[in-house]
Amino acid sequence: MSRARIARWLIVIPMAALALATVYPLVFTANVASKTRHEYVLDRFSAAESLRWDNFEAAWSSAGMARYFLNSVVVVAAAVALLLLVGSMAGFALSQLRFRGSRALFLGCLAALFIPFQVIMVPLARTMGQTGLIDTYPGLVLAYTAQFLPFTVFLMTSYYTGIPAEIIDAARIDGNSVYGVYRRIMLPLGRPALLSVGILNALFCWNDVLIALLVMPSAEHRTLMVGVTSLRGQYSADIPTFAAGVLIAALPVLLLYLFFQRQITAGVTVGSTKG
Amino acid sequence: MPIGSPPSSVRTATVGRPEGRGDAQAPKARKLRGSRRPLADRLAPYVLVAPAVLIIAGLRLYPLALGVNFSFTGDGDRNGQAVGFDNYATLFDDPLFRQALQNVGLLVLLLPVAVAIPGALATFIYLRVPGHRLYRSVYFFPAVLSPVIVGAIFNLLLAYDGTANTVLGLVGLGPVDWLGDPDVAMVTVVGVHVWATFGMALVVFLAGFATLDASLIDAARIDGASLPQVIRHVIVPGLSRTIQFVFVTTMIGLLTSMFGLLYVMTGGGPEGSTYLPEYYIWVQAGQMNRPALASAASTVLFGIMLVVGLLQAAVLRRSGRED
Repeated sequence: MSRARIARWLIVIPMAALALATVYPLVFTANVASKTRHEYVLDRFSAAESLRWDNFEAAWSSAGMARYFLNSVVVVAAAVALLLLVGSMAGFALSQLRFRGSRALFLGCLAALFIPFQVIMVPLARTMGQTGLIDTYPGLVLAYTAQFLPFTVFLMTSYYTGIPAEIIDAARIDGNSVYGVYRRIMLPLGRPALLSVGILNALFCWNDVLIALLVMPSAEHRTLMVGVTSLRGQYSADIPTFAAGVLIAALPVLLLYLFFQRQITAGVTVGSTKG
Repeated sequence: MPIGSPPSSVRTATVGRPEGRGDAQAPKARKLRGSRRPLADRLAPYVLVAPAVLIIAGLRLYPLALGVNFSFTGDGDRNGQAVGFDNYATLFDDPLFRQALQNVGLLVLLLPVAVAIPGALATFIYLRVPGHRLYRSVYFFPAVLSPVIVGAIFNLLLAYDGTANTVLGLVGLGPVDWLGDPDVAMVTVVGVHVWATFGMALVVFLAGFATLDASLIDAARIDGASLPQVIRHVIVPGLSRTIQFVFVTTMIGLLTSMFGLLYVMTGGGPEGSTYLPEYYIWVQAGQMNRPALASAASTVLFGIMLVVGLLQAAVLRRSGRED
């Protein structure tokens, strides 16, 4: 074999191995979730005899995942809707309208992007406690909105900057108010960016555990991710049910990735090549 | 270009807009931007940004100031009293917090590895190794999973009789107590974090490669440059901004998105060996009921992030200039 071909295999084999290592943990978990407890104790690595739904049903109903799932869906949907509304309004104003202080506002928003939640979590929890927002759905929705709004405004502003001013001027001449321009022009034109940033925000909120633990801690308010953390203790002797619960929590995210991979990777690379 | 058609260079309304759109050229359009606009039009931008400004100022900027202020007051009996730097003194005397800082040092040491792996993989994908399309999708997919899910799955794989030790056993090694040995646990958790997030850096690198001038690489190859030479003299200088972006975002990720893994996999243990500042803050605020001490730790973490960000920007800018 020539040296070039050896070098080629030295690259290809580790990359394929890494791809396997990337997929394996989820395959292993799905396999475990299809086993009975007895099968798991005997041999955790062998392939499950058949696809079995018992463990998924147990995790869904008796482990309370159904309730956690609903909590997550409600909070994430509300937070994403609020983020898109507030973020696109601000993005429109900051990119297309001239007003005193717009540059300062944009820079303030960029600065907020670099404040991690861990740095503000203590005073935030205290403020939420004082205003009665702690352990409520609106409280968690607001906390998520505040956390991901700087990123959303940044992305919407940079997207709307690319829309020619002539389009807006023409809409104004046709008799639209500024708000009419937002509703009839900017919202429809912003659809690709809204889709991308909406999906990313949905992922961020769905996957979060720290903010949910802090802002909405009580048992009946648990989001799905907080629920998964408590599942371990409950089902330490029943790993197959535990694995099924983990998969249920991962499923919506896997579906999003399957359908919107392009939007997701586009969103995470914003800001990396220009500046 | 990231999304859709409009170019996404960031600028605000005050820059880059053509000036001199006077009465003569566009008398009607002037209504939108001129000075004699009706009050409602002049107020509209403020109405549109108001919700965002209120939320960001009230729930992000104000808490930051409040927290710094809070770190100079006492906990418990001395609640609300000014105590100067007492909390910071307590903090740096606490072996757990010192361990957390030591682990930050470990993260800084591991950072080049966490950047080099996705960088090398992206290079190979860009150079079209067989199966490059598939790799891109497969490598990125763990990045969409919650740390909680990843941690829960790896708890099973890294158990004493789990997959990792079984594989080691096949080649006559191990078993390793991945999460129970204080000398090993932190490296294990960082390894899992890198497994889960290297796809993120990978797609950023690939977006950077898309902006590279492919003819430069072809020219270098024709001139007889070897692959390492091409990487060193063409790819790295061309990607300096992307590399800088990945360094900063990877470090931020290491410092601020490991909470889920720590919470699920180790709970800070064994013997406090996997504490990071973010976990310390959560424990002090949530479990030990010492919010002022936690605020001091928050302020230190914010300082670390500022220093890391500025340092890396400075170092990379200098090395970029030399090339």
